[in-house]
Amino acid sequence: MAKKVTLLVGTKKGLFILRGDAGRGSWVCEGPEFAPTPIHHAAYDPRDGSMYAAVNSTWGGSRIEISRDMGKTWKTSKNPAFPEGSDRTFYQTWHIEPGHAQTPNVVWAGTEPAALFKSEDRGETWSIVRSLDDQPTTTDGGATWAQDNTVSGAERPDVFMCIHKLLAHPEASGVRFMRVHEEVYWRDPGETTWRFSTPGLPSNFGFAAAIHPRDQKTAYVIPLDGMRRTASPFGIGVYRTRDKGKTWDRLDKGLPEGAPLESVREGMHNDRLDPMGLYFGTANGDVWASTNEGENWKRIAQYLPYVTSVHAATID
Amino acid sequence: MLLHGAFRGFAGGARDVRLDAVTLGEALDALVRAHPTLTERLRDERGTLRPHLALFINQDDARLLGWEDAPLREGDIVHVIPALSGG
Repeated sequence: MAKKVTLLVGTKKGLFILRGDAGRGSWVCEGPEFAPTPIHHAAYDPRDGSMYAAVNSTWGGSRIEISRDMGKTWKTSKNPAFPEGSDRTFYQTWHIEPGHAQTPNVVWAGTEPAALFKSEDRGETWSIVRSLDDQPTTTDGGATWAQDNTVSGAERPDVFMCIHKLLAHPEASGVRFMRVHEEVYWRDPGETTWRFSTPGLPSNFGFAAAIHPRDQKTAYVIPLDGMRRTASPFGIGVYRTRDKGKTWDRLDKGLPEGAPLESVREGMHNDRLDPMGLYFGTANGDVWASTNEGENWKRIAQYLPYVTSVHAATID
Repeated sequence: MLLHGAFRGFAGGARDVRLDAVTLGEALDALVRAHPTLTERLRDERGTLRPHLALFINQDDARLLGWEDAPLREGDIVHVIPALSGG
């Protein structure tokens, strides 16, 4: 059976689900679920078909919701909780990430106050990763952590200012692409320093980023003006590097010319089809899609609330 | 106890619960025993009642009556309400 794509679109007023046909040409929009609650992020787990949503509510507190039936019904997980003795209490979830294929029950959640929580039962319950409270990087599944900030040639090689998005290549272990407040970086397997990749972009600033699921040199960003926080004055556009950030191409065919749109931290994601589909949402409630790796764009939803996250689920 | 708005949804659609309690705190404990899905919706992991939660005893704001220590009498109705703030 042909694979299809379903988009989980988090907004400031609930979760929308856009279900695409086999050709990714037409989309049915369902929702909103959980409205009027903000959904900071929602993710699909390709290992078992689960969906997770960070429901960050003022009423009743924030929570994580789980669906085992492709978004038809949802149930509430037991909240992430800081251990006794901590002066922190769980406020909200920023990101949910299904774990490695070799650990099928593991799901990760990044929270505010800043902490990493791990579920070993497919999101039913969560435990804080205590080791990360002391040290920031791991290579052994979260058992131990070490600082990993070295940047070649930087004024402060030990410090990253405000990491907006960190992406690990899904197939090539050790390939990393990172969108930081005012730079982007690339790192290949075995390297111990991060390399600047900003030249060629219309601005240093931005949030949304994606990495190609097969090509190990290709990544995408949506630059914004650092002061205005929109794609102004250069207009909304997706920028692609095919050489690990050395050069960037502007991809905007079909996008509104010069539009000062905004796409935030979790605002862009890709499917795993060939050619890859790329999707991003905007603060004015649009969702844009490209089914040819960013070459052409089409608006597939509009008039949604402020889009906070887009996640593309590739469904077998 | 009468559940309003989002709290009715958190309790699986339940509208009201009849229970015996002499203080508001006891009533809340009995409420989560009757509807465990309300446990984390009413309190954080330290047991503190969440913000944006309004509790009224009949027509009176429970914050002015002692909050969780507020006494209850036979026939009192406790309203559990999602509080609004902002514009």
